[in-house]
Amino acid sequence: MTAQLPLRAGPPGPGARDAAAVIETTALSKHYPAGVTALDELTVQVEPGITGLVGANGAGKSTLIKILLGLLPANGGQAAVLGLDCARESEQIRMLTGYMPEHDCLPPDVAATEFVTHLGRMSGLPPTAAKERAAESLRHVGLYEERYRQIGTYSTGMKQRVKLAQALVGDPRLMLLDEPTNGLDPAGRAAMLDLVARIGSEFGISILVSSHLLGEIEQICDHLVVIDGGRLLRADSMTSFTQVSQVLLVEVDEGLAELAAELAVRGLQPTQEERGLLVQIVSAGTYDDVRDTVADLGLPLHRLEQRRRRVEELFREETP
Amino acid sequence: MTAEHGALPASGGVIHDIGYRRYTGLRLGRPAIIRALVWHSLRSSVGIGRGAKAKIIPVIVFVVMCLPAVANAVAVAQGGHRLVPYDTYLFGLRVLVLIIFIAAQAPELVSRDLRSHVLPLYFCRPLRRLDYPLAKLTAFILACLALIEIPLLLLYLGTIAQASGPSAIWAQTRALIPGLLIGLLWAVLLAAIGLALASLSGRRAYATGSIAIYFFLTWILAGLLDTIGGGRGRGPLTEGAVPAAAGARLSGLVSPFTTVDGVRQWLGGTSRGPIPPPGGYGPLYGVMFLLLLAGALGLLAARYRKADLT
Repeated sequence: MTAQLPLRAGPPGPGARDAAAVIETTALSKHYPAGVTALDELTVQVEPGITGLVGANGAGKSTLIKILLGLLPANGGQAAVLGLDCARESEQIRMLTGYMPEHDCLPPDVAATEFVTHLGRMSGLPPTAAKERAAESLRHVGLYEERYRQIGTYSTGMKQRVKLAQALVGDPRLMLLDEPTNGLDPAGRAAMLDLVARIGSEFGISILVSSHLLGEIEQICDHLVVIDGGRLLRADSMTSFTQVSQVLLVEVDEGLAELAAELAVRGLQPTQEERGLLVQIVSAGTYDDVRDTVADLGLPLHRLEQRRRRVEELFREETP
Repeated sequence: MTAEHGALPASGGVIHDIGYRRYTGLRLGRPAIIRALVWHSLRSSVGIGRGAKAKIIPVIVFVVMCLPAVANAVAVAQGGHRLVPYDTYLFGLRVLVLIIFIAAQAPELVSRDLRSHVLPLYFCRPLRRLDYPLAKLTAFILACLALIEIPLLLLYLGTIAQASGPSAIWAQTRALIPGLLIGLLWAVLLAAIGLALASLSGRRAYATGSIAIYFFLTWILAGLLDTIGGGRGRGPLTEGAVPAAAGARLSGLVSPFTTVDGVRQWLGGTSRGPIPPPGGYGPLYGVMFLLLLAGALGLLAARYRKADLT
């Protein structure tokens, strides 16, 4: 065996070129022949860690991932992954990146261990290393004895795990996961998200995970990139999203309007939600203020609940 | 590297989670990855690593292809002459065996991956777009080459086993070498056409069908045109027979098998082939060979350039 590559996928040390951003795009555009614009001058930076790529179906998520891997050429703008240019250095990018496609991509008549070993070879691992890492990757995603069975006999959840394992087998520095929870039931979704979170935090691999369900992936992300119609809606760290998302739900059996007026007088800016009021939590004192207001008005308090506003709701308000 | 959880002395036989380990070993470059894909494809083209059922056809066609060589060894051992020419082998048998082998195994190499949409998993790795069909084609040419050349070598070994003296062995060797080269032409052209046709469909049955139909129809058509075009009648060609009509001489251009044979005769092959000697039309067979090969390679390249395979 020859042709050793100088590139090594070591842990992202201090000298790594990707210290700043793992993904960087500038005015990236992609138009399909049928006149469809998938990406429209998208400029975004993705930091190390787990980043959610959120958008409705057709927002351009899959197109972005394919351009980052060099599978599709962009029509304009630039993109870089791990400091490498997507148009010119896509081969090196693909050596350091693991990709989990959205759609079914597994042959039914091969055992998972054999399939992942083969794809490990295709990632550049020597034969023995490919075998070992295939077994390890399958174990990490929770497939043990089943891995010797043909993939065709697997449940949807197990297939998704094989897809994740094949992305992990080459020990990538960045993983691009396209809708990993697609087609899974609620329990399967939770398990898959746990797995992704573990790979991101324990394994120290940066992850870009796309989803059309914001509420689903916001729990595991450090950062969030929201795109719509191929344009960037918002990109920020999860903490800056959640800072404004802590709210208190107050429900009273009667006198809701009275309470709303009194809270407003005391500067708490309540907003109505179905049968209750939502109050922004600005400090620990907010709880006392609300309690005192209800007590002062002598209203029958039904419920006082701290809620984390889903990021989704924030967007509904912010975008017309 | 993550710390070990619950590590016990190895004698305890406890499975412990050793956490995620980074890979710090050697990483092979693109050429080595292509070689690995060639090797993997070559194995699957003969049914290795696919279960017993996948080996049936490769084994049967190989055995059948070797039968004339075995019969020759027996005949030569009993004092006879070599039964089969090196440059054509048993032409009809070779055509039949290759049609069956290619129709059965070319879809195994390319249609399966199309059917199960595995290609994005290849293209997201260091391989370039055309590396994939290139590796598949190389593997399939090697498989066809083995099927064509190993019986030729058996034929040679069976013959020289009884040869008297170095000059007789040298004579056999000199006859063998053009046979091996013609075998290479067969393997390259037929493997390329077979894979190109197979790559058009992810449905195995369609792929097999289109390959078998194309090869059989053109082969039969070439024979028909030969007859209609004046041919040389039935029965063995005798020395000094009237040269075949132009129609018969051109009939071989229809089928890849007879095209290769036209090239053989044009290049000086003397054994009797399925078509009359092309005479002055020989270069046309050379051109046709290149056209067919270019067409198959172009089709294959175009197929795997398409973005919808991602």
